[in-house]
Amino acid sequence: MAGFLKTEAGKGLALSAPASLYVGLLVAGPLGILVAYSFWTQTYVDIDKTLTWANYIEAASDPLVRHLMLRSIAIAGAVTLATVALAYPIAYFIAFRTQKKTLWLLLITIPFWSSYLLRVFSWKLILGFNGVMNSALLTTGVIDEPLTFLLYNEFAVVLTLAHAWAPFAILPIYVSLQKVDRALLEAATDLGCSKLERFLRVTLPLTIPGIIAASLIIFIPTVGDYVTPSLVGGSQGKMIANLIQVQFGPANNWPLGATLSLVAMASVGFVAILFVVTTTALGRRIR
Amino acid sequence: MKNITTALLTATALTAAASTAQADAAALSIFDWSGYEDQGFYGDYVAKHGGAPSYTYFGSVEEAFTKLQSGFAADLAHPCTDALRKWVAADLIKPIDTTKLSNWDKLLPQIKDVDGVTIDGQTYMVPFEWGNTGLIYRTDMIADDKISIQAMASPEYQGKIAVPDAASSAYALAALATGASSYTDMSDAEFQAASDFLRAIHQNVRFYWSDAGQLDQALASGEVVMGWGWNQSELNLIWNETPAKMMRDVDKGIATWVCGYVHLKSATQSDEQVYDMLNALSAEASGKYIIESWGYAHSNADAFKSADQSLIETYGFADVDSFFDGSLFFDAVTPELEVRMLKEFERIKAGF
Repeated sequence: MAGFLKTEAGKGLALSAPASLYVGLLVAGPLGILVAYSFWTQTYVDIDKTLTWANYIEAASDPLVRHLMLRSIAIAGAVTLATVALAYPIAYFIAFRTQKKTLWLLLITIPFWSSYLLRVFSWKLILGFNGVMNSALLTTGVIDEPLTFLLYNEFAVVLTLAHAWAPFAILPIYVSLQKVDRALLEAATDLGCSKLERFLRVTLPLTIPGIIAASLIIFIPTVGDYVTPSLVGGSQGKMIANLIQVQFGPANNWPLGATLSLVAMASVGFVAILFVVTTTALGRRIR
Repeated sequence: MKNITTALLTATALTAAASTAQADAAALSIFDWSGYEDQGFYGDYVAKHGGAPSYTYFGSVEEAFTKLQSGFAADLAHPCTDALRKWVAADLIKPIDTTKLSNWDKLLPQIKDVDGVTIDGQTYMVPFEWGNTGLIYRTDMIADDKISIQAMASPEYQGKIAVPDAASSAYALAALATGASSYTDMSDAEFQAASDFLRAIHQNVRFYWSDAGQLDQALASGEVVMGWGWNQSELNLIWNETPAKMMRDVDKGIATWVCGYVHLKSATQSDEQVYDMLNALSAEASGKYIIESWGYAHSNADAFKSADQSLIETYGFADVDSFFDGSLFFDAVTPELEVRMLKEFERIKAGF
């Protein structure tokens, strides 16, 4: 035993054991319970533990589930696109154009010093009927009536999430830009690339892993976001997590809630894999 | 010197006794809405046990149900009548022994009769506070003779109304609007008509409110001009000096909710202590306090006589009897109908 622990494999196992145990108990365990629940049925206040596909059939045939799932993916997709597109220039600036990297990175994390809930709520105050935005526009005479399309729709959800998740996009992209070998850029210039060509053919392909990482970090959690749509989404901005919450809360139908959670996880996984495959292929083509 | 020592010893002994009493008082655990730890609600308990019980809070009755069903233990809980059938079915609560309640005979008979306080001949709840759910509107934006529940569907008010994000409340509204014979046991045709009404007003809904503060603010700012809400919102608007009131005409439709305390099966404290608390909560003095300071109606009939009459007038509880005759009560909904309401309401909110 002691001998085994001195081998490379033994050391590796010993090092990863605490984390594996933790993940096993606190992620795999609950996930197993979720899977079990998804095959049971709720009968008023009790659970019927006969295994059945009924919940999956209901989830697959219900247009409401499909609608909310597609909307969640669309919203998360829009958030990812907006966030990554806005984050790239900032990350580029920090990596190539400034010496005060630490200061800038610190500044970027400032939004994280306040709670996520507070940030969502601030957006509600900004976009609200008598909120900051409307008050400003009314006082300056740009509008006569408060704008009502700012809050309680998909737009508000995308805006709020894009703001909340920005640092998560900036950091991985910054790291991948930082790793780009400056000699390659010089070589590209020497070989006659214009600045734009150099960016498109050298910098961008080399930072694809950073973009993929940033996109996944943002896309996966935002598909299942619950707080933002429930606070700023209104009825037009509801997402799949809100329906799942209804099943675990007011509807008291945990088995259906478990099924919806698993369906959501599978959908997210599918879209994420599709994204990674296409982006990687695209990166190769540019090169 | 000796005197001082005695005095010190006595003082120490007294402090010790007081803190033991407080510990005993706090041993009683109550699962409640936040705010109800107000000592004015149970003065007699504090007087007898030397302290307040300990409180744990929930944000909605559904949340409370889920938590209790997953094994959370307490002595008393504070749900409302419409949830009670489910709580009894889930075997969470014990029947109440009304003979141990010193104030039982003084409680308003109409409130005691609400389905849910009593289920299948057994009393399960000591009603504590009650109030209205009704249409609150801006009196400066809609004339009194134009207001009605049906007006919520008028194209004139597009994006200008608010409805609770709770199926039972929304269906109570729809039942009143469509004239269903009963809210707890609608026929298929009545259910369809009620759902159609909710679909019709969905076009006008600015938001489905889940916390009352959201409704209060929207009414105060004029973001919405009417909303289905609790009398608490009307009070907040009155205190805020917003020109708004609740449509209290029973012919036009108003609902009454009743909440109270139930004895949980997971209770660990003695019945004596539990009933001391129940008696304190239902006492006349507690009623007077909640009416005057909170603007909520209490279950004790005597409290209405001893409370400030002008405040009762302002808060809309002056003519209790005529009110009870025409109002819809949030009875305990039948399980099948509850499931249908929840499913259909989710569809309606999503625009299906």
